[in-house]
Amino acid sequence: MKVTIIDYGVGNLRSVQSAFRFVGAETVITDSPDEVEKADCLILPGVGAFGPAVKALTTSGLTEAMTHAVFSRGVPFLGICLGMQLLADKSMEFGEHQGLGWIPGKVLSLNDKNVRLPHIGFNSVGGIEKSSLLNHLPTAAEFYFVHSYHFIAEREQDVLAVTKYGDQFSSIINNGNIFGAQFHPEKSQSNGLQLLANFLKLGAKM
Amino acid sequence: MAKPRLCFTLLYADGIFYLSRNFNLQAVGNLDWVMDNYDFESIARSIDELIILNVSQLDEDWEDFCSIVSRLSENCFMPIAAGGGIRGIEQVESLFISGADKIILNSALYDAPDLIRQLVAIYGSQSVICSIDFRRLDGSIKTFKAGGKIETEVALTSAISSAVNLGVGEFYLTSIDKDGTGEGFDMPVLELAYKACSLPIIAAGGADTDDRLAEGLHSGFVSAVSTSHLFNFMGDGLKDARNGLEAEGIQMSKWNFEELVI
Repeated sequence: MKVTIIDYGVGNLRSVQSAFRFVGAETVITDSPDEVEKADCLILPGVGAFGPAVKALTTSGLTEAMTHAVFSRGVPFLGICLGMQLLADKSMEFGEHQGLGWIPGKVLSLNDKNVRLPHIGFNSVGGIEKSSLLNHLPTAAEFYFVHSYHFIAEREQDVLAVTKYGDQFSSIINNGNIFGAQFHPEKSQSNGLQLLANFLKLGAKM
Repeated sequence: MAKPRLCFTLLYADGIFYLSRNFNLQAVGNLDWVMDNYDFESIARSIDELIILNVSQLDEDWEDFCSIVSRLSENCFMPIAAGGGIRGIEQVESLFISGADKIILNSALYDAPDLIRQLVAIYGSQSVICSIDFRRLDGSIKTFKAGGKIETEVALTSAISSAVNLGVGEFYLTSIDKDGTGEGFDMPVLELAYKACSLPIIAAGGADTDDRLAEGLHSGFVSAVSTSHLFNFMGDGLKDARNGLEAEGIQMSKWNFEELVI
């Protein structure tokens, strides 16, 4: 299964690519809606602010292409960090912005006054549901986070794992073939590589 | 809670990596030297973050710096921050393309605050680290720019609040007095900085053993500690340092490449 990494202008795509290569996947980085539409497996990385990201995806035709691949063809999809937040209906980062609306929810700032923001560093990710995405990983395995906003899912069943930083927030969300991780698996040493390997195995069965 | 971070800082200029003492640079070796003297894979798997600083005082060869970032980031599965001498957005773009996850700005805080504001708008606060170099002079704490060469008129706490207002996501604070001395971090200043903002702080300057790194983390004032001592951590030294921090009772994050099932 070839991994297609969506390039919409910002962020370090190379590290996502080298992590997937490390776990044995063939990869391609593309900004072509055509290639995205035909992909076997899609990764939406993300660094940057929500508003410009949505705009970049939409004006380039990538939103439409991704939507087609994910909903009509059911290809496995993983959104990373901002790429996960983009799945929400809306975000309140620098004003209100419409998201993809693939998993019901909204994106708000982490706002616990007892912790320093952004949330930066390795932190525990605790699975709520047993998922093969977390196979071969210790309970509460640690992954690297760097963010100030978080996804508030409307439906409990879409939350696959949670993390505590001051308040608790959703660190992995999932609905069918759509996955989102708030942390950066490509920057989480072997724990992240394991999760990506698990995602590929899961995806191969979809 | 987020775990404390152990960072390793490499100082690079025009083909050479440097050891720094009070910001006086001593040439150590080129990339081959680093690769010969360090088990780089082991380093990459023993730290939470790699920081690569361009310390060139010349009109730097940016492409060369980017190619070093690119070479060092190969097979590094942890975050990489890079900076030093950033004057425009194009330079930042090329750093990100070369494998950096975060960028570090220093002189821009005093000379080009708008650049920082723009970078925050494009890449988000979490991608922008503000580095501040300081030293104690005449009973007060002065900030310096241009690799410690030029004293600014801005007090440390004012520099911190300006950076916070510009939207940076993190601080990298280096004591020029303590840099390379092994005397430990300048704790009173770190405490002052801790109280002056609510952002994560990376402490630098003064720690070249695991005891000194542990002191920084035990203080509770910083989220991360960094060392740039090129001689004290050769071979497997950073793995030992990480184990040393654990032995000092600091809970570091854990992973195990041996157990990876692909």
